[in-house]
Amino acid sequence: MEFLKKGIYLVLFCNFFLGCSDPEISDTTLDGELIFDPSIYDPGTYLVSKSKPLPKTYELDKPVFIACHGYSASTFEWNEFKDWANGDTSYFISQVLLGGHGRSYEDFKRATWKDWLIPIKTEYEGLITAGYTNINFVGSSTSCALITELISEGYFIGKLSPNNFFYIDPIVIPSNKTLSLVGVVGPMLGYAEVDNNKDEDLYWYHFRPQETLQELNKLIILVRKNLEVGIKLPKESKMKVYKSIKDGSADPVSAVLLYKGITTSGNQNIEVEMVNSELHVFTRLALRENLSNLDMANQSKCFTELISKSK
Amino acid sequence: MLKTFLLGLFFLSCNLNSFAQNISAGIRFQKSIGFYWENGISVEISDSSILKDRLIFGCHYVSSRLGTAINSNAIKQDQIFASFGYKWRSKRIFQPITKINIGYFLADYESEIFDVLPNSSLLISPELGIKINYPKNLLYKLSLGYNIINGNGIKNPGTLYPVFYQNTILWNF
Repeated sequence: MEFLKKGIYLVLFCNFFLGCSDPEISDTTLDGELIFDPSIYDPGTYLVSKSKPLPKTYELDKPVFIACHGYSASTFEWNEFKDWANGDTSYFISQVLLGGHGRSYEDFKRATWKDWLIPIKTEYEGLITAGYTNINFVGSSTSCALITELISEGYFIGKLSPNNFFYIDPIVIPSNKTLSLVGVVGPMLGYAEVDNNKDEDLYWYHFRPQETLQELNKLIILVRKNLEVGIKLPKESKMKVYKSIKDGSADPVSAVLLYKGITTSGNQNIEVEMVNSELHVFTRLALRENLSNLDMANQSKCFTELISKSK
Repeated sequence: MLKTFLLGLFFLSCNLNSFAQNISAGIRFQKSIGFYWENGISVEISDSSILKDRLIFGCHYVSSRLGTAINSNAIKQDQIFASFGYKWRSKRIFQPITKINIGYFLADYESEIFDVLPNSSLLISPELGIKINYPKNLLYKLSLGYNIINGNGIKNPGTLYPVFYQNTILWNF
């Protein structure tokens, strides 16, 4: 009887402090084993380094955008930018799938933020090898933190400097400050569940393992500390941050930290535009409900500017 | 609003000072979990005629200017607040303390680009901790606090984090 009591207490202790078991995953969501990001089956459609590895001479200086999505998202997040091109061949767009993303819950759970970063580097190096000379990064949310970390660690030194870094709703500080407590709360909860609609569940993970939230927290704390020290852009690179003034995921004050922390190689401030929007990643409108004319105008203006600034 | 609050605190401190038997002053080190160090000064007053010396009134100022923002690009933000604390086991060396802080928070974003963002807030935070009285005139306090109003960047400043801990070293005059 004593032994049974001790056993029960141990089980209760483990459940309380070590978290619940993993959630029940449905194969009708991205978390399952049946639905994957299409770039995994068809990289040629999504990556310029695969679709055009031998560009013609006149194509070498055309702008190429490396479009990188956010935490728990997929290449879908940048589909509208690709569709917006509408046959315009004066620029190219690569849609990168972050490491550990677009596959299954278990793959997502296992990946670290350094794994998320790898495909960004791979595509960039592939484009340089192919000979492209006008490479532009456009990141949303967590991708902006990843790209900032690349800049900070000196990854671009000795390589072709990107022309532009465009950040859409970057995260350095989360809007939901509970993330700062994930080290304590995370193991107790095991995972967080997101309120996606059925369509969004095909393109964003429905469940977020606490391990990935810990990785996100580690990454943004690292980026914040590097910004406090100061980060210089690669030579001749430019940066513009577009930040929604009301954002439930990436706190708008993230733009302040980026503005204070990053300078160009010529010690100039980066550009920042506070966008009158309540959307996180305001450039992605697909599958959202109750969009306004302002939302559509914000997206259009931003896409137009990305293209014009890259040329 | 800040000036009015500071003046109010100052006059309150002056009035209490004329009755207080115990005045302590010292340095407060405060850390938001997952965020900045904001350090500063604390003054605390108690009197044996009030609740048998169990009630402590304090005035505090902490700032990232004296913490993480020293020689860095961190946001400069200030907190000024009054505290009302209760000492348990008041004759012992280790005394549990419960406190409530009420004050004001202000962040300086240093550019008009960010005028659209909220940068100030009322501060209300309960604290739970211990006070150590050893050696005789030196006091050490350690506590965990929670900002009831904390920032999501939409209604409240995004750099006002919810949970913090602090340690204060005070000299009892």
